[in-house]
Amino acid sequence: MVQFVVDVLIRAVDLALIAIGLSSVYSLIRFPNVALVQYATTGALLALGLQMAGLPLVVAAIVACALVGIIAVVLNVVVFERLLRAGSAIAMIGSLALSMVFSAIFLVTAGPRPKRFELEINPPLRFLGARLTEHQLISVGISVLAIAVFALILFRTDLGRCMRATATNSVLASATGIDTRKVTNTVVFLSGVMAGLGGIGLSVKGEMSAQLGLDMLLPVFAAAIVGGLGNALGAAVGAVVIAAAETMVTNVNFGPLFGETVLFIPAAYATAASFLLLVVVLLIKPYGLFVAEVKRG
Amino acid sequence: MISVNNVRAGYGDGPDILQGINLNAAGGEIVTILGPNGCGKSTLLKCIAGFVRPRGGAVEMEGCDVSAVPVHDKIRHHLMGFVPQTDNVFSTLSVADNIMLGARYMPAAERNARYAELMAQYPSLASKQERKASALSGGERQILSLARALISKPRVLLLDEPSAGLSPMMMHEVFAAIAEIRDRTGMCIVTVEQNAFEALGVADRAYVLSLGKVAIEGRAADLLADPAMRHLYLGGKPPVVESRPPFAAVN
Repeated sequence: MVQFVVDVLIRAVDLALIAIGLSSVYSLIRFPNVALVQYATTGALLALGLQMAGLPLVVAAIVACALVGIIAVVLNVVVFERLLRAGSAIAMIGSLALSMVFSAIFLVTAGPRPKRFELEINPPLRFLGARLTEHQLISVGISVLAIAVFALILFRTDLGRCMRATATNSVLASATGIDTRKVTNTVVFLSGVMAGLGGIGLSVKGEMSAQLGLDMLLPVFAAAIVGGLGNALGAAVGAVVIAAAETMVTNVNFGPLFGETVLFIPAAYATAASFLLLVVVLLIKPYGLFVAEVKRG
Repeated sequence: MISVNNVRAGYGDGPDILQGINLNAAGGEIVTILGPNGCGKSTLLKCIAGFVRPRGGAVEMEGCDVSAVPVHDKIRHHLMGFVPQTDNVFSTLSVADNIMLGARYMPAAERNARYAELMAQYPSLASKQERKASALSGGERQILSLARALISKPRVLLLDEPSAGLSPMMMHEVFAAIAEIRDRTGMCIVTVEQNAFEALGVADRAYVLSLGKVAIEGRAADLLADPAMRHLYLGGKPPVVESRPPFAAVN
């Protein structure tokens, strides 16, 4: 059981970082930016490149996340602000197209073979019978810290008040003297940073490939939608729900339930399980689990 | 105070909704913009506020061209207060937080003093400071949105259909509050209204728009008395509204 919780946590934090970014941006500009998952790959590749250039991983990760944040703002100003004038559906299609462009660039620059960060290999740690590596522990710790900092910004700072006011009613927010464009771009920057951090976290715990972002697309969207698209912290809860569903499929031995010694569900069903869960949640709560906060944050 | 000079405006690639509008409003007067649905009166107010940028012409405030000045800059420089038509309060925030959000860029001492003044002016809000805005009546919400706009002591106040969704009684109280603001502060107030008779009752001057152009302009009292104007643009006889004291006095 403890191992299950640990595995869910390891998976959930990275999903949560990207899903929080997706939901936060959605709350302000009302379109789900598909390209956000590619910001995760961008962060991982930039961090890897900087590490290969001689920077320590921590420094490489900080620089990479900042760069991803800047890329996200530039794309928002140059591409998405213009597309949004034609409507959110057009902006979403544009973000999908941009996502494909990212994929092509990743394939050309990084190649099709998976890559790994240069990390020391240590024996796994044991915690109440569960096993996890030192890198997993550090990565989870940093991700949880990042989510906590984001929550503090959202609920305890003037920027957070402006973010919530703009998400609730941008016209009224402008009428109270809030520079809604600046607030939006700040949130876009933060979402880029968090997506980059999520990508780095995923890659530190496993392999990194040009497909990383696209592999994350469905679970990240599922997490954001289950949590109530537009609700940042709901997305974090959604990430835990989706991670639990995926982990249940891939890690839980269902043998004892059916009189068998070993019975695992094929790993190929992991995504299907998360989407089955998504459908069930949406049937019960069509706007996600935390819709009230979405509308009135 | 406000000068709209030959302004053309529209949305996206669509046609011009405003087709060469001229309008003036001075300090200490209420100017109301009237007209049938789709005539462009809300677009004109949004153009004056800065939510819609003119395609041609200019909007001036205090002699400066502010056509390209963002809304939040005008608010922060105490030039303008704006009350949107609907959803004009943050429902989950308290009355106090709604008002203070409009003053977050002001020095704390000035902000607190101004807040205290507003609470004295609007006792109905003072008794509900910690209550969520969603718990207020329609009229109280409108007064709250006025208080939020007024906390920065703007020189111009723009109101988009302040009577929308209100009962006749509440409508009368809100208009009385608007007139009281003009009389007390000498502020320049521009309102867009559907309820023409009620608006003309407190306005000093009015502009009646038709198909994106100014069809009639003049003193509110003259327009009210003009049978042709009433027939064409105001929909016949005025409704009978019970006379009541101003909102602040009621509370």
